[in-house]
Amino acid sequence: MSQYGMVIDLNKCVGCHACSVACRAEWDVPVGLDSANRKQRRNWVERLGPDATPHGLASTYYVGLCNHCDSPVCVESCPADKVAVTFSDPKTGEKKTLSVAATWKDPFNGTVQIDKERCLGCGACADSCPYTARYLFEEGGVPKADKCTLCVERTAVGLEPACVQTCLARARICGDLNDKKAEISQYVGKGAVRLESAKVKIGPNVRYYGKKKDISLLTQNSTPTALAEVNYRRIFMARMLRPSLKQLGSFKLS
Amino acid sequence: MAFQMTRRSFLQASASAALTTALSTWLASGAQARSGFVRKPFTAPGSFGDTTTVTGGVCEMCFWRCQLVGKLRDGKLVKLEGNPKSIDNGASICARGNAGVKLLYDPDRLKYPLKNVGKRGAPVWKRISWDEALDECASRLQGVIKNNGPQGIAIFPHGASATYPMHYFEKVVGTPNNSEASFFQCRGPRDMAYINTFGVQAGENVDMPNAKAILLVGTHIGENIHVSHVKQYLKGLENGAKLIVVDPRFSSSAAKADVWVQIKPGTDTAFLLAVMNYLVKKKTYDSAYVQKNGEGFDKFAKAIAHAELDWAAKICDVPAAQIKEVADLLATNAPHVSIHPGRHVTWYGTDFQRERALACLTGLLGAIGTKGGFVVPKGPKLGKVAWPDIGAEHAEEFALHKMAEKHQFSPPGTPTQMLRDTAISGKPYAIKACITWGQNPIQTIPGQQETIKMLQQMDFVMVVDVMPTDITMYADILLPELSYLERYDIVKTGVQWDLNDKHQQYIAPRMPLVSSVSADHQRKDSVWITNELAKRLGHTKQIPAPSAEAMVDKILAGAQLSVAQIRKEDGIHLQSGTDPYGMVYPVRFFNEDLADAGYSGAPSYTPVAEPPQGFARLVYGRVPVHTFNRTMNNVWLNAEIPENPIWLNQTTAEKLGLKNGDRINLVNQDGVVSVKAGVLKVTLGIRKDTIFTAHGYGTKNPAMTNGVNKGFDDQALITNPAVDPETGAHGMRTSFVRIMKDGKVLSIPA
Repeated sequence: MSQYGMVIDLNKCVGCHACSVACRAEWDVPVGLDSANRKQRRNWVERLGPDATPHGLASTYYVGLCNHCDSPVCVESCPADKVAVTFSDPKTGEKKTLSVAATWKDPFNGTVQIDKERCLGCGACADSCPYTARYLFEEGGVPKADKCTLCVERTAVGLEPACVQTCLARARICGDLNDKKAEISQYVGKGAVRLESAKVKIGPNVRYYGKKKDISLLTQNSTPTALAEVNYRRIFMARMLRPSLKQLGSFKLS
Repeated sequence: MAFQMTRRSFLQASASAALTTALSTWLASGAQARSGFVRKPFTAPGSFGDTTTVTGGVCEMCFWRCQLVGKLRDGKLVKLEGNPKSIDNGASICARGNAGVKLLYDPDRLKYPLKNVGKRGAPVWKRISWDEALDECASRLQGVIKNNGPQGIAIFPHGASATYPMHYFEKVVGTPNNSEASFFQCRGPRDMAYINTFGVQAGENVDMPNAKAILLVGTHIGENIHVSHVKQYLKGLENGAKLIVVDPRFSSSAAKADVWVQIKPGTDTAFLLAVMNYLVKKKTYDSAYVQKNGEGFDKFAKAIAHAELDWAAKICDVPAAQIKEVADLLATNAPHVSIHPGRHVTWYGTDFQRERALACLTGLLGAIGTKGGFVVPKGPKLGKVAWPDIGAEHAEEFALHKMAEKHQFSPPGTPTQMLRDTAISGKPYAIKACITWGQNPIQTIPGQQETIKMLQQMDFVMVVDVMPTDITMYADILLPELSYLERYDIVKTGVQWDLNDKHQQYIAPRMPLVSSVSADHQRKDSVWITNELAKRLGHTKQIPAPSAEAMVDKILAGAQLSVAQIRKEDGIHLQSGTDPYGMVYPVRFFNEDLADAGYSGAPSYTPVAEPPQGFARLVYGRVPVHTFNRTMNNVWLNAEIPENPIWLNQTTAEKLGLKNGDRINLVNQDGVVSVKAGVLKVTLGIRKDTIFTAHGYGTKNPAMTNGVNKGFDDQALITNPAVDPETGAHGMRTSFVRIMKDGKVLSIPA
């Protein structure tokens, strides 16, 4: 299988925020906070430093997006009913049917996706993400979890992800981490790092490449150090309200 | 958090097939559109698929003018992208460019001609018709011309659309009193210094992609974003160029530098003189180039002979060894070195001399016409649309700096300080009408109280703009202009961004991406507005173009092109170019014209005022998501960097008991307090004698509902600007500040 992901080359990135604004434009991402005070964004740039590091004074950028993790905690936290979904590999045509909730990890391309139709809008996934890569899109009064899709909708029609296309520095390298010949894999070979800590080891597939001092500043500031405690009450509530139980309830009532 | 669930979500939560679109083949060549993607009600549709692409856009979120395409759905612009045909920005645009959609549809935009029936500064607006508005503007301007002469009109233009009216008022009406912020509060000293050294304008014409060393003095690429320029800079770094950054602050560029010279602000010229003197003494300069093309070299060498490394080290507060290191690095890599001329250079009122030093250093290194050096590529030829010069002689006669025999090396127009002083004093003549066109002098010009005084004494103030910036509050008549996405104006030209690539030229006129006509507004373009005024002022015969489209067509005709042809060519005409390398410019190391006018003929260092005890110098810069105040109301840009942090040295902060995130005000040497508390950024990356913030924030006009009161306005604190003697441009890094926390004023420890 493929594992698509992204490398941010901090030697090139100048922190211009074009990526995050292009993403807003592409996907109508609202500004400000959602009702649980999460930043509404799929994609962000935060300036770090100037600050001391063991390798000298540094200033760089935390360029964030969904990590499309190997073991996505958001997927585990989704309380929606599981349904059978058939996935297909665009390269080989191979098909796989999995039982998935409203968010899942694609077995062929490795991206984490959301089915907005089935999303309950409970926010459990957003609260579980240690990278704060999810928020609730609440415009229109029907909350739905939202996050970076790695622009699979664009890449499917031969376009680059919106952030990659607009990046004037060509600092965003998107590709298949399992393809050893891909540019992204060469960055991994050169030592591009993941933002992982002892307690947060869920295999993020966004990696960062740069000078020692910049990587040091980034990892020091932007690595999550704890997984969110699971909000069982919320998940319980969501499960109570999910369509199958609702139908069951209706049946009983009638 | 509240449990978020609505009844509708149950109904909609169906077991529909999941989105299984796979990330797949876009990396593979010739990826064909697989339109298996079906729009779902809760999924944003994206900008592709069911949109149409319109070409011919040229950005004006800043003034670099990247070429755009628009993605339209049902006649509405949903996204802007770089024009893939562009050999300048390519498919990339910056954050501001991407946010142009939110300017176009900003509900706060000016929509109709308005008449102020309240007071200047505290307006009460009444909607009027274009005829009423234009009749009133014309009759009141006519009144001023009759009573005070054409010189009684001052104009403050900014941006591409302001050029046409600016030339009308200068050349036809005949006023010299034109103050362009892009000169007198920005690039003027640079352009005049390079013209008076090489005979050509500097631009930012350094061949960074092919340089072996790049010197940036105060330039902070990264915080300042011009797409193709950033591409050039990054290509240079990728190719291994050594980056030298001279800056009191660890800027975005310093963060990428091989050598960071943490210079004391105001001393850059001393640094440059020492570098040059060292090269001359060590004979490591390009003597062949200097001998062949230099002028006044011996006088120059003598004039800078005092600038020893130790002398500069003391003044600049940097190690002599580091100055030597920089000089050696430049000499080793010469002539493939980019000595960046800078862009915003109006710092201390001694800026012409610093810019002369940069130009002379370029010449000394023989870095002219060489790979990596100062190279001015040849762009395509165009036609011209010009107002006749019938009033130019009158304008010349009443040019204030010429009457006073001051600022003989002024860029075109009249130095702002002289213009404003004259308006306030009425001497040597009265200035009684003010036209601002795309400029917001409240925030572009230091000394806000004087600017307001100037405006208050006017008989008539007319403002043309897209957004209700602060200056619009002072208008008697306020006219709404079409945005850059709805109008024709400038024809942008240039060459491929990497001079070492295939030589090409491009011609890209600004053409509308969306219709200029809509039922919800009556905005007009500047050509129409100016022509209507000209007709009313008796200049019908002088009108050079009946419409903006006709103007662009006429300009294009000079290149055997037309609007129709450019549309066929997807917005950009490409043609073959010429090899830009090998160009030779004379270098006037000692400029006799300057000496004759009483200025220093060789670049010279004049110390600037030191901060009084307990104060630090206020320096300002940019954030990459804003173009000064112009973009502050943009909802997307505002969300990225909502306010301007105040950089304070960590040791200083510790001594004062301040920490990151604290809310503080700044108080300047005249007791002016920043209007709003800013957020403190405590960092090792700034000198103790310097405080930094970003410019453009702190909009006061409540009509800018999103930008109002966001951050604070640094310009309000600049109450003691300097004036550059040669050019008359302002120097604005002249203010000294202390900190106010919870009502208590804190002195900055030494």
